[in-house]
Amino acid sequence: MDLSVVVPLFNEEESVGVLYESVRSVIDDLETEAEMIFIDDGSSDLTYTKASQIAERDRRLRVVKFRRNYGQTPAMAAGIDLAAGAIIVTMDGDLQNDPRDIPEFLEKIDEGFDIVVGWRFNRQDKLVSRKIPSRIANWIIGKVTGVPIKDNGCSLKAYRADVIKHVPLYSDMHRFIPAMASIAGARIAEIKVRHHARKFGESKYGLSRVYKVLLDLLTIKTIATFSARPLKWFAMLSAPFLLLSTVMIVWALTGLITYGDLSLPVAGTAVLLGALGIFLLFSGGLAELISSTGTFEVDRMPLLTAEELALSDRNRPEIDNAVEES
Amino acid sequence: MAQDVELSAIVPVCDLKEEQGELALEYLDVLRALGKNFELVFVLDGEHQKLRSHLERLAASEPEVRIIQLTRRFGEATALTAGLEHTTGDIVLTLPAYDQVEGGEIPRLVESMEKFDVAVGRRQRKGTEGHSGGFRRKAFHGLVAFVTGHRYRDLGCGMRALRRSVTDEIPMYGDLYRFIALLAARRGFRVVELDVTESSASHHGGYSARVYLARLLDILSIVFLVRFTKKPLRFFGMVGGVTFSVGSIFLFIVVVQRLFFDVALADRPALLLSSLLVVLGLQLFALGLLGELIIFTHARDMKEYTIDKIVN
Repeated sequence: MDLSVVVPLFNEEESVGVLYESVRSVIDDLETEAEMIFIDDGSSDLTYTKASQIAERDRRLRVVKFRRNYGQTPAMAAGIDLAAGAIIVTMDGDLQNDPRDIPEFLEKIDEGFDIVVGWRFNRQDKLVSRKIPSRIANWIIGKVTGVPIKDNGCSLKAYRADVIKHVPLYSDMHRFIPAMASIAGARIAEIKVRHHARKFGESKYGLSRVYKVLLDLLTIKTIATFSARPLKWFAMLSAPFLLLSTVMIVWALTGLITYGDLSLPVAGTAVLLGALGIFLLFSGGLAELISSTGTFEVDRMPLLTAEELALSDRNRPEIDNAVEES
Repeated sequence: MAQDVELSAIVPVCDLKEEQGELALEYLDVLRALGKNFELVFVLDGEHQKLRSHLERLAASEPEVRIIQLTRRFGEATALTAGLEHTTGDIVLTLPAYDQVEGGEIPRLVESMEKFDVAVGRRQRKGTEGHSGGFRRKAFHGLVAFVTGHRYRDLGCGMRALRRSVTDEIPMYGDLYRFIALLAARRGFRVVELDVTESSASHHGGYSARVYLARLLDILSIVFLVRFTKKPLRFFGMVGGVTFSVGSIFLFIVVVQRLFFDVALADRPALLLSSLLVVLGLQLFALGLLGELIIFTHARDMKEYTIDKIVN
């Protein structure tokens, strides 16, 4: 399988037929073996029924039905987990993305990029409620992660499967996939894509408030920086407290020796800060344990992309195994 | 049994005040009337000499009756888990080991399995419970509804019907089995509460206050499971942040007073209290980071979603 097109759907009964036709016409023209994966994210309408009717006629379409609504990121994660293609393309199910852009994404991947991100350069959405918050969020995400992408929120993206399958995806993380993947040294390209005004219904996945994105961003940034060497990070965090505590203890003891009078507040605070420092240090030890038992090791992420140059395309699955077994 | 078992009824026998052997006969009659292949499994949690010999005699003539003996007392959750491990039926029925619900309600629970994945009984009280018992029960369920957003009215009812897929997916450690309806609903299973008639022999006067205290701790673990397992730092960070800020402000005031207004620190507990808050805040934050790290490094194993069906 060469290509998997992953589309999360949530209450898109009007769109699903048109969507299928437009994706199908694109992959029919490609000279590659392709599959479509539609994920019904717990829709309350006929999305699943309609999609599964199409799937009966076309074996290339897989339909996954969630037991309830989980949100866009879990839906994409499910599609990515199930995808068999070497290249995975994700897109929105609301017809705002245009499948005719897919060939361009594939070209970019062929050029050697690991992730190709769409940029909705003439975005057809409301200015105040969607475009401006998104501008701000994108700017901040770019500054914090150091991956300046103009449009993190665009769902139309293409990934090399062996890279994306190793990026942790949970909660609202799909926005940060490029940033996460850049830890792995992924080569990221951004191309302009068409964007259509919404034809049917209202926006299903509401705009997450910017502050939530920022909190997630902060978390990811912190985790991504320290998860490779947590003990070091925690040790650095504890250093000022331990230092301050030592200084204060020395001060208190000096007072005791010279004047025969122990300053209780100073000594008490010193002991407290010392305890905090030691707590943080041991937290680092615990973090090290967690990191080493986890299946996602930031350390090993760069191997996914680093060794690619040395190996031909046919050998790539071996890298895959090497990471999974470790 | 030659044919596959369709229905597994599990009776966890835990601390019984009196051993009620005749209940087995009642259950047996009701289950047999359903016309399904069933098994009735008694899990004896601890020694129940009288009941055991009674059941053994029964099992000799009734092939559907099975007995599982735990080596010592482990609690109801373990008894249920052991029962689940030893049974194969697609529909799992848990039944109380004492007179709690009329056995005649079983068919309705089993029938509802055609439309739902989980059916829990809701006892219609007959005024046997005391005033305070009723109040505690209401307060408990109100609290559960408040913190989890799921309203149930009788989580303590021992009669439940579940699909095997539910019990396979939801861990039942600790006392979480009580909340299985709630946990299942969160996973997207279809859950229904059915009104059931309380057994006429039931002389159950509500739980003691001590039991409710244990339940409160259960709620706490449910809250953590339900709300903060995906984003631990959001919760820990918030609590830690507030603690840290309060401590910092306090500390700042104390230090300013010492430096510029010459208020002596020595006889002020305020300094110790405020630095304690700062320390606590940071510790909570560090714990949140650890939690986040656990999620981050295990996100690939922990499926956030549950798949109902896949076509093709």
